[in-house]
Amino acid sequence: MAQEASSVRNARRAGMITTRGHAVRTGPELSSAPLVVRSREEEETVVTFPHLVWKEFLSGLAMMVFLLAVSVQVNAPLLQPANTAVTPNPAKAPWYFLGLQELLERFPPVMAGVIFPGMVLVGMVLVPYLDRNPSRRPEDRKLAIGLFTIYVTMAVAFVIIGTVFRGPNFSWYWGQVLGHPGLNSKV
Amino acid sequence: MSSGSYEQNPIKAFASEVWGSVFRHGLPTTDKVAARTALTNFFLHIHPVRVKKSAIRVSYTLCLGGLSFFLFIALTISGLFLMFYYIPSVGQAYQSIKDIQYVATFGLVMRNIHRWAAHAMVITVWLHMARVFYQGAYKPPRQFNWVIGTALLLITLLLSFTGYLLPWDQLAVWAITVGTNLGKYGPIVGPVSRYIMLGGRNVGQAALTRFYVLHVIALPLLGFVLMVIHFWRVRKDGFTGGL
Ligand code: HEM
Repeated sequence: MAQEASSVRNARRAGMITTRGHAVRTGPELSSAPLVVRSREEEETVVTFPHLVWKEFLSGLAMMVFLLAVSVQVNAPLLQPANTAVTPNPAKAPWYFLGLQELLERFPPVMAGVIFPGMVLVGMVLVPYLDRNPSRRPEDRKLAIGLFTIYVTMAVAFVIIGTVFRGPNFSWYWGQVLGHPGLNSKV
Repeated sequence: MSSGSYEQNPIKAFASEVWGSVFRHGLPTTDKVAARTALTNFFLHIHPVRVKKSAIRVSYTLCLGGLSFFLFIALTISGLFLMFYYIPSVGQAYQSIKDIQYVATFGLVMRNIHRWAAHAMVITVWLHMARVFYQGAYKPPRQFNWVIGTALLLITLLLSFTGYLLPWDQLAVWAITVGTNLGKYGPIVGPVSRYIMLGGRNVGQAALTRFYVLHVIALPLLGFVLMVIHFWRVRKDGFTGGL
C-alpha cells in the first residue's frame, strides 16, 4: 500500500502522470503540443512563463499602485511621544488583536485569554488532520464550511466592534458612528 | 537588422554577449523557449514549467498568496530605508520617526508605505488562509503546508505587533501594553511569557530593544525561510486547481 503510494508519487515527480493520475507524454523536449492527455477541460495546462508570471506581475503592479496612492494621501498615525503616566482612554490593542480584547471584556480572563485562543490556535493547526472528509466539493463539506464561516464572521465582527463600537473604558459606544449628541451631531 | 551587422559592430556584439550570459534564453516566442526560460532562470524556476489552467485563474487563488509575498517584499524594502534613520532608543525613537517624516527625502511616503503594507499583509494572509480553507486545499497531500501556513500567519501578526511599538508614541506604547496584558492570563506561562517578551514588567527600553531585534532580524528571517519552504511545497505537492 505504502509502496504503491510512493511509486505513484515517484511517477508523479518524474512527470509521467499528473496529480490526478492522467498519463503524460514525456520526452526530452517540451513541444508546444499539450503535455497532458486529458479527459477534462479543466486539466488543460499552459506554460507558466508567460501565463502565470504575467498575472503575478499585473497583480503586483496593481498592489503597488494602490499602496502608493494610499500612502501619498493618508499619513501613518503618530501621536504624542509615549508617556507612561498618561493612559489614553480607551486603550486598545492593535486591530487584529481586538477580538481577544473583546473576549476579555465578555468572559473570565482564563477563558478569554487562554482557553478560547488556545482552542482556535490548536484547532487551526490541526484542521487538515481533524477533517477526514476527502472531498473538496462544497456540497460535501457543509459542516466544515459552516464552522469556518462562524469563525470568520465572529473574527470580523469582533474587529469591527472593537474598532468602531468601543469607547471610553472599552464600553459600548455609538458616538464614533452616530456622532456625539452634544458635540458634532451627525444624526 | 541582419546578424552580419551585429558582428561588425563590436559594441553591439559585446552587449549581446553580456545579455546572453545573464539571460540564457530569449522572450517566450514558443512554448519550448518559454519552458527553457522558466527552467533556467533562478527567479522563474520556483514555478513549474507548466501549470493547470484552472489553477492560475485569478478567480481561483484571488492572487492572495502571491500578494502576501509581494507585500512582504515591499515591507522589506521600505523597512530597509526606515532602518537608515530609525534609532531604537526610548529617548530618540520618537524624534527619529519625526526626522523620517519631515527631514528625510521621501521619508514620509516610505513610512506610510511600510505602515499600510503591514496592515494590508495581515489582511491578505488571513484572506489567503480563508480561500485555502473554503477550497479544501489543505487536504492530502497538502496538510503540512497548511501547518506551515499557520506559522506564517502567526509570524505576520507578530511582525506587525513588534513593529507597532517602534515609533514610541502614545499609540505604540499603550497598544503594546494592552496587547501584552492580553497574554498574561495563562497560569504560570502567561505572566512569564509577558515578562520574557518585555524583558521586564513594563514596556520600557528592554521591551523596545527586544521588539526591534525581533522586528528587523529574527521574524523576517524566520518568515522568509518558512515562505521558501511553503512555496517549495506548493510546487512539490502540486497545485490544487479547479474543484
Ligand atoms: C506570509 C504568509 C503567506 C504567504 C506569502 C503565502 C503564499 C502562498 C502562495 C504564493 C501560494 C500559491 C497559491 C496562491 O497564491 O494562493 C500559497 C498556497 C498555499 N498556502 Fe500560503 N501563504 C502564506 C500563508 C498561508 C497561511 C496562513 C495558510 C493557511 C493556514 C497557507 C496555506 C496554503 C496552502 C495549503 C496552499 C496550497 C493551496 C493550493 O494548492 O491550492 N498559507 N501560499
